[in-house]
Amino acid sequence: MTQERAVVAMSGGVDSSVAAALLVEQGFETIGVTLQLLPGAPTGFGCCGSPADIADAKAVASRLNISHYVITMDELFEDKVIRPFVESYLRGDTPNPCALCNRFVKFGHLLGLAEAWNAKFLATGHYARVQDGKLYRACDENKDQTYFLYNLGPSELSRLIFPVGELSKPEVRDYARRLGLKTADKPESQEICFIPNRDYRGFVKSHPLSSKIQSALKSGPIKDISGRELGRHQGTVGYTIGQRKGLVSGTPDPKYVVRLDPENQTVIVGEKEETLASLCEVSDMSWSGGRPILEGRAEVRIRHRHMPASSKFLLTESGRVRIHFDSPQRAITPGQSAVLYHGTEVIGGGTIREVLR
Amino acid sequence: MDVAYLDYNATAPIRSEVSRAVEPYLRENFANPNSPYRLGQEVRRAVEWAREDVARLVGANNPQEIVFTSSGSEANSAALYGAAWHSLQISGRKKIIVSSVEHDSIREMLPVLSSQGFKIYETQVDSNGLIDCDSLFNAIDEETALVSVMHANNETGVIEPIENIAAYCREKGVLFHSDAVQSAGKIEIKAAAWRVDLLSISGHKLGALKGVGALYVREGVKLFPLISGLQEKRRRGGTENVVGIVSLGEAAKLAFADLSYSSKYLAWQKQIETACLSVEGVTLNGAGAKRLPNTSNFSIEGVDGHSLSIALDLERICVSSGSACAAGLSSPSHVLRAMGLSKNLIKGALRISTGWNTKQEEVSWFIRTFPSAVQKMRSASLVSA
Repeated sequence: MTQERAVVAMSGGVDSSVAAALLVEQGFETIGVTLQLLPGAPTGFGCCGSPADIADAKAVASRLNISHYVITMDELFEDKVIRPFVESYLRGDTPNPCALCNRFVKFGHLLGLAEAWNAKFLATGHYARVQDGKLYRACDENKDQTYFLYNLGPSELSRLIFPVGELSKPEVRDYARRLGLKTADKPESQEICFIPNRDYRGFVKSHPLSSKIQSALKSGPIKDISGRELGRHQGTVGYTIGQRKGLVSGTPDPKYVVRLDPENQTVIVGEKEETLASLCEVSDMSWSGGRPILEGRAEVRIRHRHMPASSKFLLTESGRVRIHFDSPQRAITPGQSAVLYHGTEVIGGGTIREVLR
Repeated sequence: MDVAYLDYNATAPIRSEVSRAVEPYLRENFANPNSPYRLGQEVRRAVEWAREDVARLVGANNPQEIVFTSSGSEANSAALYGAAWHSLQISGRKKIIVSSVEHDSIREMLPVLSSQGFKIYETQVDSNGLIDCDSLFNAIDEETALVSVMHANNETGVIEPIENIAAYCREKGVLFHSDAVQSAGKIEIKAAAWRVDLLSISGHKLGALKGVGALYVREGVKLFPLISGLQEKRRRGGTENVVGIVSLGEAAKLAFADLSYSSKYLAWQKQIETACLSVEGVTLNGAGAKRLPNTSNFSIEGVDGHSLSIALDLERICVSSGSACAAGLSSPSHVLRAMGLSKNLIKGALRISTGWNTKQEEVSWFIRTFPSAVQKMRSASLVSA
């Protein structure tokens, strides 16, 4: 019997290393691929496709005795992930770039390549589970990454394997150590892989798009809801809804960012209660089952690690989905994703566009 | 057939005669060729025989015009740096002219030379990859120390008119170097008759071991040596890489004999090109120029050449999506860019190159697989930027 072929995306981290090892163990003809996503092979660390990470992925592939290739997708990454990321910040939103990368790069282009290479499956080191073409949260609730994977539909899910989704992080590291994989004790990757120093504002500022849209980078007032100026800011980019640090000092109660208005170069802050809202609208909905659900109940997660909150949802005529939470949620943030669950199953998700009060 | 190996421009398998020829030098004939006792003399003889074989392959007047190096890249460095630094000491000439399609081993030297005060002039090529001789000749002036133009391009196989260029340079009293790494053993080279001053070759492309190359240095041409020492008539220090040199000599002898079999290569090239060009949206790069009989470089519309080469690899076919590159990464070809190809056609490039051990079944397997691999790449739901 010939082996079934599976492509595994290897970032050079421990999770995808173990994912590759598990595929080999399960008897697949395993093909490792590392994506180089940033132009000019950056010498930095923690970026997808930095030389050090490519070397780690190659070392693991050679330890596992599997084929390994490096594919450059820098233009696609710029077009589908980085530019929308910058645009989102300039608009006053807080983007979720990993969801875009998964949608267009890993489970878009790379999945297409896997198909062209006659591979039956594509695997990654994500913490999530696929069963019978449905997407479920990982066994390790702390590591669950379904918040970044909700864009997957039936045609993708039927061809995906998440080998570490059944394991906890310590189990993954143990497994890697047992196999003597170089990446066993490698530290966790950065929050956003293309900004290893976490200076989002600096990154957005240096992007060519920013030269056209300056207002979000200009300093302006920090105001309370009634319009009273409480201080100054250095540009709305870099602030996010619900943020408390780095705002104003000398007020009796702590202030939180309630809204960003880059057009008027204003950051609006308020009391903690003023960040609460029960209603929001979500665009670009993707349904895991392929077909839209007109209305129903779901637990909705509005940011990574947020405890999904019970809500009613309704598909509106505009194509957006209106979500009404049973109890008010803190800091619902435009640009972030809203992911709908039934228990541990992902039923869909989209991008938060508007918070209604 | 385990794999169809069709990437001879990257490297060739070691010829079995070569493996046999080097054997004694891995064992009993270990002596230093510079030692005066008989054991040394025997090894010296082998090195000098190899020099004769290489001299014949490149058309030197005299075997002493051959300097052994560690590689084609070293030969190129020895020629460019060697000529440039020598000129700095003697004539003070500071202009160096190269073509825009040279191998990276040449291109990587240019910023270094530039930082040392040399003026680099790059001559353009036409859409077939052929160098514009008139603009090259116009660029040659009293300041010019050296002109370097490759004999055949590693990516496209396009053959440059080095005979004309060499003759013109000689007339003007300017040194002329040619990187002949890809042409050696594939087409005739007559370094002396063509009036070439410096010419580089590499061993492993001929079926010798990796780690050996040679530079033809016309008698009378002086270079600043990269490695100081008494060996190779002070032109290249370091105890001779005897095993490598013997392998190069043997491979050069065999390659020279093979030159009369170019019809075999031409037949495969025709098969490959007919088959590939019958697939829609496939074009042959450098089609209007004289090319090496072993090399075909295609652009495949709507397909990424690197991804296609992986698809072919998974079907046990080794081809290249450009020149072999560091760490398996591919960067857009400067050669195809210089020829004015669009970005997409550059991305869609695939190079097929045959060599001394190519078998018909390898060519047939490639021809059978190529159309379906392209079809699969085109029908896959890929996302484009």
